[in-house]
Amino acid sequence: MINSIYIRKLIVVAPLLFSITIAGEKIAIVTKIIGKAEYIRENNAPENLKRGFIIESGDEIATQKGAFVAIVFIDDRSALKIREKSKIALNGKKSAKKISKRINLNSGTIRAQVKTGKDFLVQTSVSVASVKGTDFWVISDDKIGDSIIGLEGLVTLSNRISGEKIDIKPGITCISSSDGSLQTFRSDPKNIPKDLFENAGQNNKLEIIFKDSIGKQKKLIIDYK
Amino acid sequence: MNYIKTINIFVLFGLLLCGTAFSQQKNLYHVPPASAVKGADLVVSASLIDIANPIEAVLYYKTPLSDSFLEIPFENKGFSWEAVIPKFAISDIGLEYVIVFRFRNDRILSYPRIDPFNNPYSIQVIDDPTKQRSKISNDKAEIIILSPDIGEIVDPNEVFIAASFFLVEDIDRSSVRLLLNKNDKTSDIIFEDDIISFAPNALSNGDYIVEILMTNKKGENLPPFSWGFTIGNKAEKSKDFVSYKGGISNRLSSEAISGSILNIAEIQGKFDMDVNWAQMNIVSRATSRETPYLQPQNRFGGKFSFGNFLKVSFGDFYPRMNEFMVDGKRVRGLELKTDFKWVKFDFMQGEISRAVQEQQFVDGGYRLNNNLTTKNIDGSTTYYIDRSGYTFKRNVVGAKISTDLFDRFKFGVHLMSVRDDTNSVNLKLTDAKFSSDSLVSGITPGDYTFAAFSGAITATGNQLDIKPNNWSGKKPHDNLMFGFNFGTSFDDKKLDFDFDWNLSLYNRNIWGGAMSKTNLDTALDDTLDGYIGQQYDELGNLLDGDAISIDQIPFDPEALKDIFIINSNMTPLVPFDINSSPLSGLINMPSSAFRFSLKGNYTNSKILIEYRQIGPEYDTLGNPFRRNNTRQFTISDRASFLKNKLFINFGFKHLDNKILRTTINPLNTNTFFVNFNFIPGPGLPSYAVSLQSIGKNNEKTKLDSVGGSIIDLREDSNISNNMLAVTVPIQSNSISHNITLNMGNITNLDNLASRRSVGYLFPKTDSRTISLNIASEFSNVFNTINQVSQTKLDIPVVSSNTLQKTSYVWTNVSSTANYRLIENRILLKGTLTLIDSKSQIRSQLVGLRGGIDYNFRSNLTASLISFVRINYIRNNNGQSYEEGFDLNSSGIIFNINYNFNNENTPS
Repeated sequence: MINSIYIRKLIVVAPLLFSITIAGEKIAIVTKIIGKAEYIRENNAPENLKRGFIIESGDEIATQKGAFVAIVFIDDRSALKIREKSKIALNGKKSAKKISKRINLNSGTIRAQVKTGKDFLVQTSVSVASVKGTDFWVISDDKIGDSIIGLEGLVTLSNRISGEKIDIKPGITCISSSDGSLQTFRSDPKNIPKDLFENAGQNNKLEIIFKDSIGKQKKLIIDYK
Repeated sequence: MNYIKTINIFVLFGLLLCGTAFSQQKNLYHVPPASAVKGADLVVSASLIDIANPIEAVLYYKTPLSDSFLEIPFENKGFSWEAVIPKFAISDIGLEYVIVFRFRNDRILSYPRIDPFNNPYSIQVIDDPTKQRSKISNDKAEIIILSPDIGEIVDPNEVFIAASFFLVEDIDRSSVRLLLNKNDKTSDIIFEDDIISFAPNALSNGDYIVEILMTNKKGENLPPFSWGFTIGNKAEKSKDFVSYKGGISNRLSSEAISGSILNIAEIQGKFDMDVNWAQMNIVSRATSRETPYLQPQNRFGGKFSFGNFLKVSFGDFYPRMNEFMVDGKRVRGLELKTDFKWVKFDFMQGEISRAVQEQQFVDGGYRLNNNLTTKNIDGSTTYYIDRSGYTFKRNVVGAKISTDLFDRFKFGVHLMSVRDDTNSVNLKLTDAKFSSDSLVSGITPGDYTFAAFSGAITATGNQLDIKPNNWSGKKPHDNLMFGFNFGTSFDDKKLDFDFDWNLSLYNRNIWGGAMSKTNLDTALDDTLDGYIGQQYDELGNLLDGDAISIDQIPFDPEALKDIFIINSNMTPLVPFDINSSPLSGLINMPSSAFRFSLKGNYTNSKILIEYRQIGPEYDTLGNPFRRNNTRQFTISDRASFLKNKLFINFGFKHLDNKILRTTINPLNTNTFFVNFNFIPGPGLPSYAVSLQSIGKNNEKTKLDSVGGSIIDLREDSNISNNMLAVTVPIQSNSISHNITLNMGNITNLDNLASRRSVGYLFPKTDSRTISLNIASEFSNVFNTINQVSQTKLDIPVVSSNTLQKTSYVWTNVSSTANYRLIENRILLKGTLTLIDSKSQIRSQLVGLRGGIDYNFRSNLTASLISFVRINYIRNNNGQSYEEGFDLNSSGIIFNINYNFNNENTPS
């Protein structure tokens, strides 16, 4: 009898404890911000987002007009760029060496630059994009559905309504509609959103010029990320 | 696009089912790579043994989660064919691929052999071993830089320094210090959970170094972790309005195969340009194989794309208008595709084959036609020269209009005409030689040109003439196809229904042009009676039989000659069976082809129910290798379990040729199949099992009598086709191995064996294959691939009136090594192959291939490969083969590749 009551209590309390544990985990940091953005933690009132803000699992972020936010995850440097008028929720579950990330894009436009692994998921009400070391934009639009623009790597996009799945290559845009369809076509450069922090995480080149004793120049070029 | 590819794949899939497993086994040689490395391109190679080059070699690949395949072409590398799967497609969830080699005469070889597109080969994806080593050897890299990036140029007001200790273990957190340009800023940092951050105030422009110092829990100093960034004004970059990229490659090869020497020089180029609102893609190939005696070997084609609504292709292109009309056959001309979402319109015009005037051998342009020789009134003789060795220019024009209403209802109509141009082949040739035999009186037998022969004939008092048309060589053809399709979807678009119907009209000889109604009346009989095919007895009484009234033909065929030439060479003369009911007549028209399918696309299950029928008289010159006279019903399901780790594909197919009522003994083929693919995850063994049972019968129960002898044409057999593949990855110290074991067998069973005569030949070959492949990565500069395989065929023969099976056994041992030098600038590669062939003749084939790749720059590489194969035939105890060595083949191939682009060039 005692055991039974104890188990029942445990059943009720355990998910609560679990959710509290998950909710409190620090998973990313805001490294750059332009304009005004807010975050909501648990059920508290929205507060202004600032550079250096450490994001916990469950936090919601909303950007206002003209805003742009860059977030970096602390386990693998995967980056998330959030454009203006977007609303997302970030969830992550820590394990020994990684954080399983799930981004809920309620509305707006984000760019995901995923460094490693398969534990990165972007989902909207219509679609789920599972990601494997790639770079892509997701634009969530109530009217036309989700647009996923592949920039690097391969994104497996699943329409949650039809269950249809497709791989998206670089240079390809896929529209995932609320009627369950997936349509792909070559990306129109005009429709690719502008990344205001384009350099972050991208290939860079450093040129160092050396001069020897007779004035002869040699150039050392370092390509790095 | 993916839909088109899917259709294409199903077309190939259908064709592949028609191929013979035996021939695939014999000629396509492929050992799957043991694994793919994440983040690295995967090279897939296949070899063809004793077979001509294919007209198309394609590798299809996809992730296990995807519904559709992407495709890349194979390239001939001399000893083998290679295709490179780009690294972006190689991810944790695995990779699936299918190899398809397509040859002339509708011959297709594939890997896997059995039902490839429903059972693609799966390989595991592993992490890059070199990256794993760098993690182990460089513990300090466990600190993750969050901001700013290495070398980033940061605005003075945006400086924010952050790093993550998420992966760092065994450090004394209280020992962590942060230095900025050697100035200790530890007192200003925030170290919260795993994140260290620091927001400095007002830094001046210049270069900065961040340094993090720390000790472990034992108090020992760990290597400092540092990176640099720059404070200053960001250089504004703007994308070029025009971006372009391209490449040029050449190939010089000299090969000797069985005594024939083949020297080839080729140069290929591609150029892509993007001006934001439009794209241009150009591809070209110039080869020394180009000759006026064959169809074009050079290629030049381009495509302009204006947004998503207009695409214009010119030069060589490969239209896929409809699988029953034209589906990837090369056309040289112009193609227009418009897409206004609600309405799509496709149009193409060009030539499927160009005119070839003659062949480069005696009687390859002219030949003396003795059947036409006539005696004249004056006693002289007129001899006739006939044209030969030519190919007519084959023109094609096609159009398709379709709509997709509300993304739910699809409807389209299509039309295509293919016609040979009889004016494209010249009547007179200056240098063509033909042979004359002793039938021409007064002329010495030998080879002559027209002018020389004409002079000789005239000197004997005879005449020489050229047959002006209706030559005895290839006949000019005409082909008209039209049809429609519609489709819709149900169950929230998870279930798609598609129907496609087509009709072909085919004329096998249009020399005489179109017939009038009067000509038609006497086409099949000699009586001008208003009926086609009406027969009478000697007294003029009407005989029973099928006859078509001229009045039943509602149009004058001559009036339609610009669309389609109707004459007695048209097959069928009347495209529908007028004696059938309207519905049956429509469905079973011998010149129609149709299919309908129901495809379910559910989360863990993909169901297909399809019926397709291609009439015995359905012909398309746009896809001439399509098999006709078939009915096929398919039901299959591809289900996934255990979070997409286990795939089971199972189904049933029925194939027969029972379309016409006149088919007495149809050949029925029933196939049951089930395929298992179990891929538990990276680093774990994976398994693939394929089981297939094929039953064939032709409903014959009695023996046939032909020319006084009894022959047994009964067919009632079962084919069991099974395959097992196991891949086991092993990591031993710093060496990684992948071991792949493949086993397969084909066993035939004659169900009528007990009722056959003793000397009956059951002409089905049993086969068994086994192969073991070990791929070893010793370091990031050295790897090897070793393989042992054996194929055994039991070929039935009748000897001394008894059925016997002769065994042919091929044993193959090969070893490949690759070694990189000078920071990967040089790649040395070599392969040693030994093939032992054991049958009535015992022989060995030793092959050696060696080569070097040299990277001059990242965009300029050169490759040199040479190979030699030596054949040794043993003493064969009186067989007609001479013992000893001979050079089977040898060659040398040189490639240079240069790529360029302006994508990294600032404006």
